Amino acid sequence: MTAAPALEVKGLSIKFGDFTAVDDVSFTVERGEIFGFLGANGAGKTTTIRMLCGLLVPTSGSATVGGLDFSDGGKGIKGKVGYMSQKFTLYTDLTVGENLDFAAGLRKLEPAYAMRRRKELFELIAFDSPLSTMVSSLPGGVKQELSLAAAMLHDPEIVFLDEPTAGVSPASRARFWALIRKVTALGKTVIVTTHYMDEAEQCGRIALMRTGKLIALGSPDELKASAFPGPMAELDFNGPAPEGFLESLKKNQGLLELSPQGMRWHAAFRDKAAMDAALSSLPAAAARTLIKPSLEDVFIRLVEGIER
Amino acid sequence: MKRTLLAFIRKEFAQVLRDPRMKLILFVMPMLQMTVFGLALSSEIKNIKLAAVYAPSDAAARRLAQRFTASGWFVPVAAEGRAPEDLVVSGAADAALVFPAGGFAREAARGCGGVQLLVDGTSVTRARSVEAYARAIFAAHAAAEAGLPAPAAPFGFDVRIIYNPEMESPVFMVPGVMGMIVCLVTIILTSMSLTRERELGTFETIVSAPLENYEILLGKTLPYIVLGLANAALVIAAGFLIFGVPVKGELWRLFSAALAFVITTVSVGTLISTISKNQQQAMLGGFIFLFPAVLMSGIMYPVENMPALLKPVVYGNPLYYFTTLLRNILLKGGDQSVFVFNMSALAAMAVVTGAAAYNRFRQTLN
Repeated sequence: MTAAPALEVKGLSIKFGDFTAVDDVSFTVERGEIFGFLGANGAGKTTTIRMLCGLLVPTSGSATVGGLDFSDGGKGIKGKVGYMSQKFTLYTDLTVGENLDFAAGLRKLEPAYAMRRRKELFELIAFDSPLSTMVSSLPGGVKQELSLAAAMLHDPEIVFLDEPTAGVSPASRARFWALIRKVTALGKTVIVTTHYMDEAEQCGRIALMRTGKLIALGSPDELKASAFPGPMAELDFNGPAPEGFLESLKKNQGLLELSPQGMRWHAAFRDKAAMDAALSSLPAAAARTLIKPSLEDVFIRLVEGIER
Repeated sequence: MKRTLLAFIRKEFAQVLRDPRMKLILFVMPMLQMTVFGLALSSEIKNIKLAAVYAPSDAAARRLAQRFTASGWFVPVAAEGRAPEDLVVSGAADAALVFPAGGFAREAARGCGGVQLLVDGTSVTRARSVEAYARAIFAAHAAAEAGLPAPAAPFGFDVRIIYNPEMESPVFMVPGVMGMIVCLVTIILTSMSLTRERELGTFETIVSAPLENYEILLGKTLPYIVLGLANAALVIAAGFLIFGVPVKGELWRLFSAALAFVITTVSVGTLISTISKNQQQAMLGGFIFLFPAVLMSGIMYPVENMPALLKPVVYGNPLYYFTTLLRNILLKGGDQSVFVFNMSALAAMAVVTGAAAYNRFRQTLN
């Protein structure tokens, strides 16, 4: 393995007509990382991944993937990466075996090598149905695992997964993430997009995207620490929140963020002193608990911080 | 390269042969079309509904009317109590034979035995045939009534129809229909196949592999060229077995004509699929090509009769050359100069459309 980072992206932008889908994005991904893209639909996650796989030509900027650039039209890079697209990537009207044979043919793999890889990957994803099973008859989670196997048949260094768990059951999602960790344990780099917060928590680092821009980058803990330098309290009013108190709290200079969380409220403050001062007038019936901010809090703070 | 191509061929065959709709398009539709078009698309006009309008006592008129019926082209329609024009307008009759009110025999005796023939001209080919049949029957009737043998002309034609002596419509029609079917099947299959990959998202998987453009294009087209050729063979065999269409020419000529034609249509289909965003658009694009291709090919309407303005369209139509080749090879045994000319035209088209499809094809999604 070369020493170059898995991904090195500088000022990557792409425009479709007047619309800038990805705007001046730069980041680096080290080998062996689980790197997540978090953002709403249309934030530019998929477009970024497609550019890095050579499926879209960027308008400006540069990138190296696995130490290679796109000067050869992306041929070298395509050989080093595996890509599992957002839509279903297997043919439902073919059998498991036919799908994997086609994937092997696309990558020009030697039959013996492809057979060996198939065995290894079946073991990895714990797939034991016969090869003649029609893909259409498999459950959603298994289809996704099989898609991953097909994308990894040529033993890529870097695996791009575009919303791999969209539309599968929570149990299958957990299984798939266990699989992702197994893949990185093999020394692969995994780039994954998601809009599930709990999935983002499992990434080594997260790039937060919004309307084509990278608005934050770091490990989940780093993101939390930078978004919320002070303490965060969960306020439980044991009933409807008193309007007067919330209004005065919102005007408090020490408050960073106040957001409803179901029946409760999350309030973040600049520091402990500001919190104590602001919550001194908390109604007696209310309870406050110091909590660690979740990624969802981070997401709301960063995204709304821009909109405000 | 070889491995990728084989993988594509296996995959496309597995998909096409597993899909009942595709099987229908490939095998059942051609047979149905052959039968329907071969029998129904007859250029011969028969069963013309004729209303003869004359007084019940007019024996001379009845004799002439009976001669029309006896000819086999006409079927009599009752005319009682309706104006001749109404009969034609309402479609109850294709033609009305109106005899003079004063009695046909008396008028004829006075030397002015004019009979009016009203012909429905909305179908031009039918009207022309009706007119020609009527003239011939009239001449024969006049000669017979006069009690004379038909005048022996000092010179005459000795007509001999060759290559299709019985003038059977299917023999002429079926080669055209064969060309049409091969055209239809290849255009529909190829224009849909790439667009379907794009719609399903599997196109992304294909282009995420390090492949050259020509590898993907060949992979997506070669299976359909093979299927198109198999279809052509099937249709020719059916024409031979069901309609007795002869196969007089050498098979290699048939094969090379079919090959060049199928390459052209598969390229056109691919071109359509590179332009279309979804399968509906591809379907529509296919039909936008197919309609003029079929109508301006000489299969149903003779090319010679088309206005000069439209002739360039005919000369740019691959189906025209393929039909010409099929008729020439199957029915006449393949004349060298006809073969060389039409074959070169088809080969040139295969190259041009193939290059255009290659040029339009992109591996990126921009």
